Amino acid sequence: MVGSNATALGIVFPNMYDKLVPDLTSERLMASIPFGSRYRLIDFVLSSMVNSGINNISILVRENYYSLLDHLGSGGEWDLARKNGGINIVPPFAQKNAGMYSGRIEALENILGYLKSQKEKYVVMSDCNIVANFDYNALIDAHIASGADVTVAYTKTELPQNAREADDASKGMYYTFDLDGDRVTKIYINSQTSGEKNFGINIYVMDREFLIDTVKTSFVNGGVYFERDVLLNRLDELKVCGYEFTGYVSRIDSLKGYFDENMRLLEEDNLDKLFDPAPVYTKIRDDNPTRYVSDAKASNVMVADGCVIEGTVEDSILFRGVKVGKGAVVKNCILMQDTVIEDGADVEYVISDKSVTVTEDKELKGTDSFPVFVAKRQTV
Amino acid sequence: MGKEMIAMLLAGGQGSRLYALTEKLAKPAVPFGGKYRIIDFPISNCVNSGIDTVGILTQYQPLVLNEFIGNGQPWELDRLYGGVHVLPPYQKASGSDWYKGTANAIYQNISFIERYDPEYVIILSGDQICKQDYSDFLRFHKEKGAEFSVAVMEVPWEEAPRFGLMVTDENDKITEFQEKPKNPKSNLASMGIYIFNWDVLKKYLEEDEADPESENDFGNNIIPNLLRDKRDMYAYHFSGYWKDVGTISSLWEANMEVLDPEHSGINLFDDDWKIYSRNSGMTGHRINPGATVENSMITDGCRVSGNVKHSILFAGVKVEEGADVEDAVIMGGSIIKKGAVVKHCIVAENVVIGEGAQVGAMPTEDEKGVATVGAGVYVGDNAKAGPNAMVRNNVKDGEEQW
Repeated sequence: MVGSNATALGIVFPNMYDKLVPDLTSERLMASIPFGSRYRLIDFVLSSMVNSGINNISILVRENYYSLLDHLGSGGEWDLARKNGGINIVPPFAQKNAGMYSGRIEALENILGYLKSQKEKYVVMSDCNIVANFDYNALIDAHIASGADVTVAYTKTELPQNAREADDASKGMYYTFDLDGDRVTKIYINSQTSGEKNFGINIYVMDREFLIDTVKTSFVNGGVYFERDVLLNRLDELKVCGYEFTGYVSRIDSLKGYFDENMRLLEEDNLDKLFDPAPVYTKIRDDNPTRYVSDAKASNVMVADGCVIEGTVEDSILFRGVKVGKGAVVKNCILMQDTVIEDGADVEYVISDKSVTVTEDKELKGTDSFPVFVAKRQTV
Repeated sequence: MGKEMIAMLLAGGQGSRLYALTEKLAKPAVPFGGKYRIIDFPISNCVNSGIDTVGILTQYQPLVLNEFIGNGQPWELDRLYGGVHVLPPYQKASGSDWYKGTANAIYQNISFIERYDPEYVIILSGDQICKQDYSDFLRFHKEKGAEFSVAVMEVPWEEAPRFGLMVTDENDKITEFQEKPKNPKSNLASMGIYIFNWDVLKKYLEEDEADPESENDFGNNIIPNLLRDKRDMYAYHFSGYWKDVGTISSLWEANMEVLDPEHSGINLFDDDWKIYSRNSGMTGHRINPGATVENSMITDGCRVSGNVKHSILFAGVKVEEGADVEDAVIMGGSIIKKGAVVKHCIVAENVVIGEGAQVGAMPTEDEKGVATVGAGVYVGDNAKAGPNAMVRNNVKDGEEQW
């Protein structure tokens, strides 16, 4: 096929790391967390795949996925409403013998029949907690060039604080590698040492046939987690290679991290780095343009369409359809879709989920290190 | 199964009084209101009124319009049976012809209409800004037992001579039609929106085509012929916002009215009657530190570092530090560089206004012109375009155009 990557199949895990941000995932999953004023996290994964010519994509949902189904619809907005390929959403219990999964191996075992019947030579896998404009073709090219069994993408970064604390939520979540050239020689789970690491971003490429064999073998032996039970366990016999991703990356690993990674986009340079490489698609809401009324004041903000601003907004990110009333002050906030800040209210360091209302003259303030979170549809 | 009513949208107009704005695109494709094009209004009205079959008659510079309409998905008009269809003139076994007039354009597409076997056909105009419920218009048409209905607006008597006027009896039945009369007998102006019973329309189109003297125009030929034959013709009163944006000043004015929905009557912020359009797909807009934004509409992809007052910025517009934008309509992708002053004007798509350049001026007692800069034009650093300028070509650094 001309100009399209008919050689790779995409597999997306939308629930991985849900536990790291329990507030944001109480009524949704990681993939549908709103991000960057008008997107949801899965938009970055799907857009990157589509822009790399990958248009046969399976999404292995586990739980809490209503908001994702609503967001994706037929997939047309990502150009994934296709006769051949397109979006294939696989819920748990989709087949008689397929139940809820806890790790990748189980999830993939559920769809072995589907994997066998596909035609693509390669499979790329991604989670949704990483925001990046990722070029899968470059990854696949590196994989082909090195002749690896599995190629893992990583960035050179320090681990977040909670990796070392390793509480229940972050246990077994962070994989770092030692490399010899591009060959992975050692894999660490939640490494306890500090400093810059080759930090996996949970994007993988491998041959489809290899994946099928590996999943079969591992599952029979009680394997659950791809990273632990395949990569780490069989590192001696497999050729696992690293691929360094040097583009802009946001990693959602906590509520504070979510706040910070949104705020980083207020720097124009970062915004360009994330969005310039290739377009990012999302669900269209057909909002009207945002309206700034006479006494509105705005400084250092990113604002989506459909907002009406009559008060003051500073250093904040406003999603679609947010209303800021007369005399209201919004500083250092992330206000998700259809949040209403009524007249005279004063909010600072607040993350408001969808359809939150802060009533007239209310004051609500968090701090830089501890932003206040207001759950979906709550009224303050 | 036949459709109850399908829409035929006349979108072939050149819009010659929009000068530089319609050099490369048809008037219905002219951007409007921050993220729309004029044609989004009639199309969205159709969809919101439950009409799922729309033929768009194009002729002049159709490329932008064709691409914009595409398969109709943004308006949910990508349908199995019906949907939106762009209908340019085409060659037939018995020769080919440009659309000679509004009636001839419909005549040439009789076979398109017949595929849907409609009871009624609504004829729409692609160059008006109006939110209208066509299903209410159809209800009126049916209640009156009409064969032809026209939507009319009451206009001030002193302006009536500029319009085509419908003289009606107390039951809204049309008794006379006056085209731009010196002595108006009515102040009910035709909006150029008609509902016909299809069998009646077809008969009159065929008759009109057979008449070599005819201009093949609805206003000049079809409506007078219906009157001559004493057909059942009624006038449907519409009292909402309606604006023909056929001139630079009316287009500018209509955009400014969007900024004041409380008074102007054109409200784009109404969730119950959304106007749909093709989306730019850009990120949320940025208001940078040091910028001021007042009484303006700003959409995705804009980056504002300067001062924006009472203006509309379309997708992807950049306003650099120290630039002043006031009473201006800046269309998609244009860049206003540092220190430029852009006032009381329309700047078309992908224009660059150079550093320190000056475009337009706030109106004075005897000077109320709206400066206009055509698409893709480069206005050089410190160049100047006067309040009546119609800038079609690049203006070199430091030069002036009046």
